[in-house]
Amino acid sequence: MKYGLSRLRRRGRRDAKSALRNDIVFLLGFLVCVTAGVSHAQAHKWTIGMSQCNLGEPWRVQMNADIRKAAEEHPEITVIFKDAQNDNLRQVAHVEEFVRAGVNLIIISPKEAAPLTRPVADAYGRGIPVIVLDRRVLGDRYTCFIGADNRKIGRAAGRWIAALLGGKGTVVELKGLMTSTPGQDRNAGFREGIRGSGIDVIFEADMKWLEPDARKEMESALARFPHIDLVYAHNDPAAHGAYLAAKAAGREATMKFVGIDGLPQEGQMYVRQGILAASFEYPTGGREAIRTALSILSGTSVPKEITLPSRVFTKDNIAKGGEWLPE
Amino acid sequence: MNGLRRILGTPGVRACLSLVMVFALGLIFNADGAFFSWGTHRDMLRQVSVIGILACGMTVVIIAGGIDLSVGSVLGLSAVLFSLLTIHQGWNPFLAALATIAAGLGCGTISGVLSGKFRIQPFISTLAMMVFARGVAKWVSGGQKVSTAVQMSDGSYQYVPSPPVFDLLGARIAGGHVAVVTLVLAACLLLVGVFLSRVRWGRHMYALGGNEEAARYAGIPVRATTVLAYAISGVLCAVAGICQAAQELQGDPEAGTTYELSAIAMVVIGGTSLRGGQGTIWLTALGILIIGYLEKILSINAVGEETRLMLTGAIIVAAVLFQRKE
Repeated sequence: MKYGLSRLRRRGRRDAKSALRNDIVFLLGFLVCVTAGVSHAQAHKWTIGMSQCNLGEPWRVQMNADIRKAAEEHPEITVIFKDAQNDNLRQVAHVEEFVRAGVNLIIISPKEAAPLTRPVADAYGRGIPVIVLDRRVLGDRYTCFIGADNRKIGRAAGRWIAALLGGKGTVVELKGLMTSTPGQDRNAGFREGIRGSGIDVIFEADMKWLEPDARKEMESALARFPHIDLVYAHNDPAAHGAYLAAKAAGREATMKFVGIDGLPQEGQMYVRQGILAASFEYPTGGREAIRTALSILSGTSVPKEITLPSRVFTKDNIAKGGEWLPE
Repeated sequence: MNGLRRILGTPGVRACLSLVMVFALGLIFNADGAFFSWGTHRDMLRQVSVIGILACGMTVVIIAGGIDLSVGSVLGLSAVLFSLLTIHQGWNPFLAALATIAAGLGCGTISGVLSGKFRIQPFISTLAMMVFARGVAKWVSGGQKVSTAVQMSDGSYQYVPSPPVFDLLGARIAGGHVAVVTLVLAACLLLVGVFLSRVRWGRHMYALGGNEEAARYAGIPVRATTVLAYAISGVLCAVAGICQAAQELQGDPEAGTTYELSAIAMVVIGGTSLRGGQGTIWLTALGILIIGYLEKILSINAVGEETRLMLTGAIIVAAVLFQRKE
């Protein structure tokens, strides 16, 4: 008992001591960070804060990589990256932190429009230029919006597919999450693109952007329809999943696969391997964001809205870096 | 009459009846005969395999009176690790599999020690492991899928052929009628079944889940048994992760998100009680089939996502209510 008590007491003392030590370590660490941050800011001319809504998606990882790569070519700028982990409120906090830290420019790829409109407008109102990337905020209290048009890409895919199949054929559509705007636009655009042709969408399912789900749905489509000409998937991983399903059924050679996004390590690689007939690029805009940021920081005026052009990658053009879609 | 009631009262028979009812749904809504082709059933068995393997480990943990929320994340970590070692590092597949299983074992053991030794509630300790393992998966993969597209030092991507072990695990055998991963699931079911019914430590799981105090007084090493339960679950997560990677031809750090819920649903629908201390692996096998057929029938009929979710929720409740003894 006595032993137990003294041990408890000792532990209490240790806790107090370690708490104090923690505080000191924390303070020291904080000071080091601040000094480093200040000296860093002095070495560079401009600091840019970049808030990404979710780094759980390869496409967004690629966006950050594009920004980082473009920024490395300009030693006069430093980019601070933050990941909101798919959380609106965390992203709101990011913007406020950037404002307090006194960054020279903010790039934000917002998770959702409504919750981020006010913090972006506040920052803009304090004279910090804000570039909104990929997804929008409401109103016009920002400097510049850069993004691609999913509907246009879907329409181009629809037209391309109609031409590829000679105006008629059976198509399976594997849709992205239909409660998300990219899913809705890639669907609506595609339907516009094939309108008037003899293309028949015989099976459609929501694969929620996930490859395993796409494979499951494709297996169902294969079980039901002995003849499928083409699979149009709202992203490249889904097109790949559909290919694997068809391959397991020994039917991959009888149909074609088309996806969207065109990331170098996904869509472009699948086209190179002959798995996909085509992948339509959904550009990340990372490079354009840095280019636009430099223009703004050096006092050049930029358009309020920049729509990114997009490319299509096919087996014939992949070696020369794809082909730009007509406006 | 009493005899009939007693037979109908056993969880196994009830789970069988649930399965028959779901199967009957398939016969009615057969999607122009697609339900009658063997390929549909073969594909269903392939689709449930990965989550089914998770459900095997989950069964052990639930019988021992715990819960393991980390299975999906540990699966993701294992898929990434196995892909990194085989595709990028070119390891021998056996060594890579062993290393991956060791990682799964490590994750499970940590969860087990946190619950068994440090008395953290399993819901919390495995929740922590769920978050932690997902973090590790993202860290080792650099946030990108580990695929056969390998990034070169100049930033361009080079395609490497997929390792033979991926093709082997992703293939079908017996004239293309059975997927290899389904056999892996069958082996896991069998091994866990033998463990739970024939091995002393397996019997300890029931004692521990039934009444921890009583188990302690009966001289059962409660801590070690707890650790063992989660360790087994961890190993099976690694096996499932390897199967997942082989089928997708890549290691996706996001793989397995929400799989823990499906795995728990499979165990509970089979008739194993979340209170612990009862249940068998064969009930879980039935639960796996019930969920698998349900998903498949909804999918071949191209039922819309919203209807699917509502129906799945309703049917799970119906099945569990049916399971309950009156």
